[in-house]
Amino acid sequence: METLVFQKPSSIQKDCNVTFCPGCDHGVAIRIIAELLDELNLVEKTIVVSSIGCSVFLNDYYNLDIIEAPHGRALAVATGVKRSKPDKFVFTYQGDGDFASIGLGESMHGLSRGEKVTAICINNTNYGMTGGQMAPTTIIGQKTTTTINGRDPNLQGYPIKICEMASICDGAAFVARCSLDSSKEIENTKKMIKKAFESQINNQGASLIEILSTCPTNWKLSPQEAHKRIREELYPVFPLGIYKDKTSK
Amino acid sequence: MGRVVIDKEKCKGCFLCVDVCPKKILKKGTNYNSKGNYTVYVDDPNNECFGCALCAKRCPDMAITEVYR
Repeated sequence: METLVFQKPSSIQKDCNVTFCPGCDHGVAIRIIAELLDELNLVEKTIVVSSIGCSVFLNDYYNLDIIEAPHGRALAVATGVKRSKPDKFVFTYQGDGDFASIGLGESMHGLSRGEKVTAICINNTNYGMTGGQMAPTTIIGQKTTTTINGRDPNLQGYPIKICEMASICDGAAFVARCSLDSSKEIENTKKMIKKAFESQINNQGASLIEILSTCPTNWKLSPQEAHKRIREELYPVFPLGIYKDKTSK
Repeated sequence: MGRVVIDKEKCKGCFLCVDVCPKKILKKGTNYNSKGNYTVYVDDPNNECFGCALCAKRCPDMAITEVYR
């Protein structure tokens, strides 16, 4: 007798075609979140705020209520949604260009105010959708279409570290950085997102999950090499782990 | 024993599942689908698949739709 051990989460649309590039980890993040919404019985009361970038097409994947926020303003929009409907479950899904560049003010103020929302930031160290320009999180020496000789700290400055900045916000209840480069890290990421979701359910404050993700097309690497790059080049700059956890207190 | 169901029209040929399979029964295919992507196929003559679902959890395109054990 066969038992079903894996199937597509119910909050994913039945005929969903994931439109990301081959090997892009966005699809894994979207599936993990959908599985957690199913597990925690949140599908009926979730409102998602999507942003500008590769994360813009969320309405093609989820069977959920989705608002499209202006560039960078996802946490500001989520604040309005959560304050007008406090019984709903609200999370944002953003890229690093959206969260940490144009939206840095909104993001940090949202976390500092301690809005009861969850922010999920996919960090792939460049602007993926527009063709791989330098993002605030681009690491020193990384070649992009606007830093053709590699990012030079004398000219372009140093990368922004999202979790380190967010961890000093008093309103943030849970801040963690995780990755999607291996099966083990995928499981760990799922645990972290679950903790963040639970902190919102228990009204403990704002939560932020930063996920290191690949961009094989703009990094000009194969999906396998892109995962290797995360382990070798991004881990030393962006260490994984929990940066703030007020949930247990 | 286990069994995986692959939706070949959704496969984009990144072959991340090939690397993650502990029994190495997922293989790179030489046929392509209607979008022009090479797809994976299951080559499991000895029924080695035990339904760990690592491939399905790794697949970024949700092309591995169901796993049975």
